[in-house]
Amino acid sequence: MATNTKSIGIANLPNQTHKIVSRKGTTFTVMVVGESGAGKTTYVNTLLTTTIKSYRDHSKRRDALSRKTVSIDVIRAAFDENNFATQLNVVDTPGFGDYVNNRDAWQPLVDFIDGQHEMYLRQELQPHRDDILDGRVHACLYFISPSGQTLRPLDIETMQKLGSRVNLIPVIAKADTITPKDLAAFKRRIRDAINAHNIRIYAPPVESETEGVSERNQAMVDAMPFAVIGSEDDVVTPDGRTVKGRQYLWGVSEVENEAHCDFKKLRNLLIRSHMLDLITTTEDVHYEAFRSEHVSTDGRVVGSVARKDAKFKEEEDALRRRFAEQVKAKEAMFRQWEQKLIGERDKLNKDLEHEHSYITALTQEIKQLEDKLNKK
Amino acid sequence: MSDMRARRGGKKTFLFNMIIVGQAGLGKSTFINTLTNHPTIPKRQCDDPAQCTLEKTVDIQAYTVETDEDGMKMQLTVVDTPGFGDNIDSSTHFNEILSYIEHQYDDVLAEQSKIKRNPKFQDSRIHVLLYFIPPTGHALREIDIELMKRLCGRVNILPCIAKADTLTPKELAAFKKRIMEAIAVNEIQLFDFPYDENEDDDETIQENLELRSLLPFAVVGSDDTLLVNGRTLRARQYPWGIVEVENMKHCDVAQLRSVLLSTHVQELKELTHDVIYEAYRSEKLSQLEGLAEKLAELNMQAQEQQPGSV
Repeated sequence: MATNTKSIGIANLPNQTHKIVSRKGTTFTVMVVGESGAGKTTYVNTLLTTTIKSYRDHSKRRDALSRKTVSIDVIRAAFDENNFATQLNVVDTPGFGDYVNNRDAWQPLVDFIDGQHEMYLRQELQPHRDDILDGRVHACLYFISPSGQTLRPLDIETMQKLGSRVNLIPVIAKADTITPKDLAAFKRRIRDAINAHNIRIYAPPVESETEGVSERNQAMVDAMPFAVIGSEDDVVTPDGRTVKGRQYLWGVSEVENEAHCDFKKLRNLLIRSHMLDLITTTEDVHYEAFRSEHVSTDGRVVGSVARKDAKFKEEEDALRRRFAEQVKAKEAMFRQWEQKLIGERDKLNKDLEHEHSYITALTQEIKQLEDKLNKK
Repeated sequence: MSDMRARRGGKKTFLFNMIIVGQAGLGKSTFINTLTNHPTIPKRQCDDPAQCTLEKTVDIQAYTVETDEDGMKMQLTVVDTPGFGDNIDSSTHFNEILSYIEHQYDDVLAEQSKIKRNPKFQDSRIHVLLYFIPPTGHALREIDIELMKRLCGRVNILPCIAKADTLTPKELAAFKKRIMEAIAVNEIQLFDFPYDENEDDDETIQENLELRSLLPFAVVGSDDTLLVNGRTLRARQYPWGIVEVENMKHCDVAQLRSVLLSTHVQELKELTHDVIYEAYRSEKLSQLEGLAEKLAELNMQAQEQQPGSV
């Protein structure tokens, strides 16, 4: 559990509305989806100015390649800023898009999201529901590879599946790969593809009573999908400033420089200005949609989400294997016993035979003696 | 090199064939255009959004261009492979590329076996495969390992890191190291600038060692030229600086161009013709022999059964 002392703006949240009681604090869950190396870990750590997520060990990556699964990892952190407590959950999806065959790679993601809705639903239908654990996903960041061309089949299919269940926010990471001219064309092509394939992405509300906020919001919408640069390191720019950025031989790209990338806009969207909207749309739109499909008219849960979780299957297989091994071991033991018993039986039989022949011999002797006696 | 030209008298045009493989958007076409200093491969139009979902086969296309590097004239054929690895399931793509390469060998095999040979026969055997690795900064992915493993016995492979200006110098060095480790672990045989300690002179050995240490080559390409310090160069303009393609401190394109268009052309061709092709030929012929034998056996069995059956 990390405690963040640097200000990242979460404290603005209570100012947006009186609905959230600042005493109780809040829970916020973000899912990150994208190929390995897309820049997810770096981005999350940059956003929260803390190393929440650690980089996966390279030897573990090599091992993961052979398992060919998409798994779900949840990292939990507690933030306390200006006495406002937030439970922040980051859901990672290692293995997504990393293989030659990525057929149905989106399934574990969808199962997780639906599973969280179901878990909340079940708790909500309980007689006592003052202590509900809310793990519902409020935002899903989909990381698009900075190819500069357009979306790929896997991107389209996955975003279609996700967009109907969660607030989907497409993001272009490692934006310092693309020149500004190419970036504008790339964003346009992505937006065209999103529209052409009916992908639902999160649309922040633009209108606001406060002056200047509407313009800011409009600028935010126009910049989507956001192109971001991530960096946890402090570097010195040619003109002497110390900033979070990346140091190349030909210059320094800065994370918080709006001319370099949209990091600030995305941070505002996720935390400073639209966090509440993300939470309420999850509750009022996505959760309600799930609920209406999964609650029967007499108030019971129907159509449970099958836990096709790959990790689950793995554990199941491991248990099954262990069980089979134990059965084998027991059978081997029994066989040994059987052998021993057979051995004993044979020995006893032999002894019996021996005794029997002895008795026969003695009986014979007796007979002989009797005969001898009778003859006399 | 110059010896050979002098012996043949006058300037001969060398034939050189290369194939370039990698996923969409890694800058392969841009790199080829940078290499040849000529718009050899046209820019792919990807403006139709409906095209995004199509799962395709690899669209193998060959382009030919004339180059003149260090006085060495060449007819360079570049085979592009758009579509590789872009499907949700790209398992079939490896065989598609392997088939293409083997097909060129088959053509030569057939031609050599002819009694009356075609004097105008164009040898389209592939002399080198450039494989473009995306600059994730982590390690090789399944698709990278599979491709190199399956093709390394049939063609000279030179791995390259695409869009290398994504990585800082430290990240690039670590990435190169991890890639070479993964290549060694998976027993992938590359063209690693081999030299003979007894036969080659020190300069050649030194040159080859240096080139070997650069593997995989860090590539940056650009279609645009910019004015930098009074000179017109191929470069990429970012708000925070300019990346020069020909600058050896920024990337390895200059060295790679020299390898591909002048210094190692002959060696790559020789390895392809004398080693790789010969191996393929022996395999193919012994397969055919094996098949012929089996066929002969089956025929004999059939003959035996017919008169012998009661």
